[in-house]
Amino acid sequence: MELAEPARKSSIWEKLSVERIKIELLRTAYGQSRTFLSRFDPRMLIGWYSFFAIAPWFIHNKTVLIGMLLAIAVLTYTSKPSVLVFIVLAFGLVTDTAYMLIVALAFGGGLPAALALSTLTLKLLVIALASIAVFSSMDPEKLSDALLSLGMPAQFSFGVAYGYRMLPILIEEYNNLLYSYRLRGRTPLRKGLLGWRSLVYMGKISILAFYPLILNTAKRTRTTVEALEVKGFTYAVKDPKVKRIKLAYLKILPRDYAFLAISAIYVAFLFWLGNQYTL
Amino acid sequence: MALQSTEEQPIIQLDNVTFRYPGAEANSLEGVSLSIYRGDFIAIAGSNGSGKSTLCKCFNGLIPTYYSGDMEGTVFVDGIATAERSVAELSRNVAYVFQDFENQLVRPTVYDEACFAPLNFGYEDYKERGMNALRMLEIEHLRNEWIWQLSGGQKHMAALAAALALDPDVIVVDEPVAQLDPAHARVIYEKLKLLNERYGKTIVVIEHHTEFIADYCRKMVLMERGGRVRWVKSVAEGLSAVSELNEMNIQPPQVTQAFHALCREQAIEGALYPITIEEAALHWGSAAKRELPSTDAYASAASSSRSAGEPLVRFEGVISGYQGIDRKKKPILQGIDLSIHEGDRIALIGNNGAGKSTLLRLISGLRRPWEGKVTVCGRDTRKSTPEELSDLVAFLFQNPEEMFIADNIRQDVEYFLRARQQQGIEPFIEDVLRRFKLTELQQRDGRLLSGGQQRRTTLAIGMAMRPTIMLLDEPTASLDIASRKELTLLFDQLRDEVKAVVVATHDMQLVADWANRVIVMNEGRILLDTDSRTVFQHPDILDRAALVAPQIVQLCGRLGIEPACLSVEQFIAYMERAQREELVYGIG
Repeated sequence: MELAEPARKSSIWEKLSVERIKIELLRTAYGQSRTFLSRFDPRMLIGWYSFFAIAPWFIHNKTVLIGMLLAIAVLTYTSKPSVLVFIVLAFGLVTDTAYMLIVALAFGGGLPAALALSTLTLKLLVIALASIAVFSSMDPEKLSDALLSLGMPAQFSFGVAYGYRMLPILIEEYNNLLYSYRLRGRTPLRKGLLGWRSLVYMGKISILAFYPLILNTAKRTRTTVEALEVKGFTYAVKDPKVKRIKLAYLKILPRDYAFLAISAIYVAFLFWLGNQYTL
Repeated sequence: MALQSTEEQPIIQLDNVTFRYPGAEANSLEGVSLSIYRGDFIAIAGSNGSGKSTLCKCFNGLIPTYYSGDMEGTVFVDGIATAERSVAELSRNVAYVFQDFENQLVRPTVYDEACFAPLNFGYEDYKERGMNALRMLEIEHLRNEWIWQLSGGQKHMAALAAALALDPDVIVVDEPVAQLDPAHARVIYEKLKLLNERYGKTIVVIEHHTEFIADYCRKMVLMERGGRVRWVKSVAEGLSAVSELNEMNIQPPQVTQAFHALCREQAIEGALYPITIEEAALHWGSAAKRELPSTDAYASAASSSRSAGEPLVRFEGVISGYQGIDRKKKPILQGIDLSIHEGDRIALIGNNGAGKSTLLRLISGLRRPWEGKVTVCGRDTRKSTPEELSDLVAFLFQNPEEMFIADNIRQDVEYFLRARQQQGIEPFIEDVLRRFKLTELQQRDGRLLSGGQQRRTTLAIGMAMRPTIMLLDEPTASLDIASRKELTLLFDQLRDEVKAVVVATHDMQLVADWANRVIVMNEGRILLDTDSRTVFQHPDILDRAALVAPQIVQLCGRLGIEPACLSVEQFIAYMERAQREELVYGIG
């Protein structure tokens, strides 16, 4: 695990280096086990999340949406997500808003039309923040067990946990492959306007480096598949007893019901409030 | 088909087994008959491609259940033919730790990994079984560690624990030394010994490091090309067959080689040679007691040629490191001052995490110092990109597969020159390929080559860059002896073209044979900067850096020979001289 500082004099690269992304991803995945949301049963959380991921699409009342946003923003704050996730989110929002403004102005709708479109932004924001809050509070193991418990195939839920386990190794390897390109390649002699040639160069090798990564991974998988066979995984998939033993630790406690109840009351209150004062 | 159960029944028995992989042109195993008894500690040795791994995959039923090739003969495990049982059933009897053990670990933490197999078999007490396995290996403290944060040795331990969780009778370990540094390999062997002695497990290792075989195993199977078993002997007998082993490209322990060269004539036919340092010290204890002054004959090699003038690389008070998952900066190098001169052949040694790779990355420009300054041929690395520095520095990674970025190895070798749009490079490329014996292989993808061929390719890639300085990270890791010898010879090719070479390594043989300057690192600092002879005279420093001196150097220490001989040849020359002088004194 090394912090890389790729190109010279470019602070943006330092912030966005592969190494940096790896650290942030791992923090998001495994970093915090003690947040407010992590105390609840993962199955309950998935249920709770699916409401906040789907319901906003059918709500057009801005009062309700803003109310939801406030509550979820607080929950997101308690789950201490990584800065990188926010950067990505902010980037999405800014481009989204800009795009809507341009569309609204270009087609003669003017500001009122842009304002109307902003409801969509609000919906997206609620959904995005709910995802961040839930998934950065739930480690991949719990997520995978919850999925298994909710009736997903064992191969799929295993895949989720295994994917996360492989992630740091794959990123490390990707980084080294990228270094291989850099250590034998050559940056463009002229940087071009705003360094666009350098950007194209970096973009090109960033994509090229995926090919050797895929080949290396394919080669590695043979041992993994043999090992899964030896460890009896293929037999466990067919055995309901294994599923029962594995998931025995998942229990829905009174606090899970309490959390659901409070959420339901809050949402009901928002609808009442929305009827009184529509924004 | 079940054999009669008796007291003396072998735990594993092969009856005239022949196997061919689907689509292969030749048999991988040919008429193998072999019995392994309960409580054995047995080594399977043989050159590359002699079917060692194939043999061991018969033990746990992967062959023929998983690989459906052509199989004749029968394999019995605990008296029952494997053909009648599934791989999963068999894994309760036979556990397998793969050579690339990292890919065997499928769960996020050590504890999860250990519990995984018992859980899959539906044991209610799977947690207890997992913990038991960790307890047997005394690694309970690792239970909550993430797999990806473990060192290589710890990962191997985790793979072993996972294999132990089903409480098998037999444990098969495929080349434990190949991927680990010598100190960690010894730790693994100590654990295997513990499992064998305290818990009565039968241990089968695939191994060609004969010094480990001599120290830990009791029996030895020698495989030869075509997948035949040449013989099964006790380890003492087996390792004494020096010429036969050499023929198979297996290097007997250094003390055994020395004995073979010195005492062949006197030894009685069929007598056993010394195979461990203890035995050798006993044998030569009297002969070498007498003080012999060291002579210039072999002292000259030690003097390193420090040429005057501007150093090629200069480190001034360099601090560097990485950022942890908690976003805290963790310094790896703490104040390094170092100059590398023309003509230096530097071996950079030290335990894992000592900062060797970080140091190499600083020279290549992949990483910048947090504080201090690194200058390469007069250029400040903070003001240059790795692309610019690659005109001067070639950096060969530890894992060759991370260097194969083109469609075939010829294109990999050309990549650097093509990127610089150089014309008329064909003759030069042809020459490099020929020198590294890659002409035949040039159209192949690097990933599909053997370990030794992959290393040769990375060296060729480095050479085609015509660098001033070459950096190599663990170039001899996971190579068999023959490929290692070959690689050391190829290093001599570098000498004429490259002004300085830095090799980070655990391979003390390479240190003794090749380096003219040795830098020992520990906890981000330079402990010692000296030549290869002096470094072995500091056992305390070697200990701190988790290094083990070559056997012959250790023997010299035992016998009080100073300065120590660095190679078997030097030792033989020394002993012959000692004998001659004794003769002279005797007459006089």
